[in-house]
Amino acid sequence: MPEHTVSSFDAELKELGRKVVEMGGQAERLVADSVTSLIRRDAALAQRVVLLDATCDQMQREIEEKAILVIAKRQPVAGDLREVVSSIRIANDLERIGDLAKNVAKRVIAIEGEYHPQKLVRGVEHISDLVLEQLKEVLDAYAGHNETKAVEVWGRDGAIDTMYTSLFRELLTYMMEDPRNISVCTHLLFCAKNIERIGDHATNVAEIVYYMVTGQNLPESRPKADASSETTVAFPGRTVQG
Amino acid sequence: MNSAVDPTFNLASAVAAKPDAPQAPAKIKVENLNFYYGQNHALKNINFEIPEKRVTAMIGPSGCGKSTLLRVFNRMYDLYPGQRAEGMVGFDGVNIVGKELDATIVRTRIGMVFQKPTPFPMTIYDNIAFGVKLHERLNKAQMDERVEWCLRKAAIWDETKDRLHTSALGMSGGQQQRLCIARTIAVKPEVILLDEPTSALDPISTSKIEDLIDELKREFTIVIVTHNMQQAARCADITAFFYLGELIEVAPSDVIFTNPKEIKTRDYITGRFG
Repeated sequence: MPEHTVSSFDAELKELGRKVVEMGGQAERLVADSVTSLIRRDAALAQRVVLLDATCDQMQREIEEKAILVIAKRQPVAGDLREVVSSIRIANDLERIGDLAKNVAKRVIAIEGEYHPQKLVRGVEHISDLVLEQLKEVLDAYAGHNETKAVEVWGRDGAIDTMYTSLFRELLTYMMEDPRNISVCTHLLFCAKNIERIGDHATNVAEIVYYMVTGQNLPESRPKADASSETTVAFPGRTVQG
Repeated sequence: MNSAVDPTFNLASAVAAKPDAPQAPAKIKVENLNFYYGQNHALKNINFEIPEKRVTAMIGPSGCGKSTLLRVFNRMYDLYPGQRAEGMVGFDGVNIVGKELDATIVRTRIGMVFQKPTPFPMTIYDNIAFGVKLHERLNKAQMDERVEWCLRKAAIWDETKDRLHTSALGMSGGQQQRLCIARTIAVKPEVILLDEPTSALDPISTSKIEDLIDELKREFTIVIVTHNMQQAARCADITAFFYLGELIEVAPSDVIFTNPKEIKTRDYITGRFG
């Protein structure tokens, strides 16, 4: 795209984009660290995630202020306007992602020292890998103004939902196997839910990127496969009774 | 390049597609219009429609032909030798660029307001009565009524009712421009052409004129040429973008200013024209 006649306008838009990418990197790091702290049972790392979430909030405020200033000063239209509005919306999603990572970290601190066999977190580790990949891809799509990549991310969220549903089932089973697992597994369920929500926010970002680049909205319904709200696992003893 | 304008694009249905804009038939139909300033080919094969009782904005860089097209609608070029229009500008089924139609008649039905306010050096009342007298015979009471009617329509009655018989030159620029709009309305035209009507005005007068445009479109078809793109975005239902004598894109303003189809339009409205 050619440069604006007013070159400082270009500089402001670039700066705004750079800030969003930077914030994206920060959110990605928080998610990765929170998951690592969960797997390694590293309460110190979890503590750091809780503290660092504030930087994400701060960045969101900066992006919002900058975007409002650009609108006031330049009255952007068309693609420029979409870019500015998208930066505000994406910063919003990234801030939520930071909050969810913080919540995972808090739970890591809560279950510190509890009975905690490693196999319990395996599933959460799996879903996190997928979500982190989604987050990385969507941030690349944003930085490269790549709508094709955004659509790919958008279409892959179904896999995360499916995995979450099976993880839900798995954790319920562990709880039934051994009541000592209940406390940890409940926290892990919330962790998994938070991570699944992070995936949803990545999908939101993909939708925003698509809109920013093309000016069109993606269709409202995307492939959804989170069936956990309808999932139950029968207690083994009950079938014997029946 | 005219292929850039979607041949199947239908303004009336595009306007109708907006929930707040019911079906609007074409008031002016431009077909294969070419215009020449001597050797200079200023408008190249223009095709588009101006919907009735809507505001249509024409935007584009200097020299793109937007004011020329406005002047064609008003037969203004008739006054200058060497300027000629070819093609069809259908207005209620009559070709207004054809020689068979008298320019004066065209101008009563299609009024025009210019960039700089151009009040006549006479009283406010006479500024309005002057044009009316050319076309109609009204008695004193009828004329008084007409003057009040059009001053009210132009949202300037309250400011002028106590000084109707003082010189119009004593008014502020914004008032003078609204007087010029009132004078245009006085002969009850169907179309009002506005050639950068606010470029010489302060922001408050500009807002008043924009507010007035919103009012006037209930009764009149309005075509506005403006260099202020925000103004086009605010006032116009339809926006047409011209470049180097060609019509590049025409679409509902909502579309032009959020998601234009043509790269040239995008570059122009976002301020990327070198």
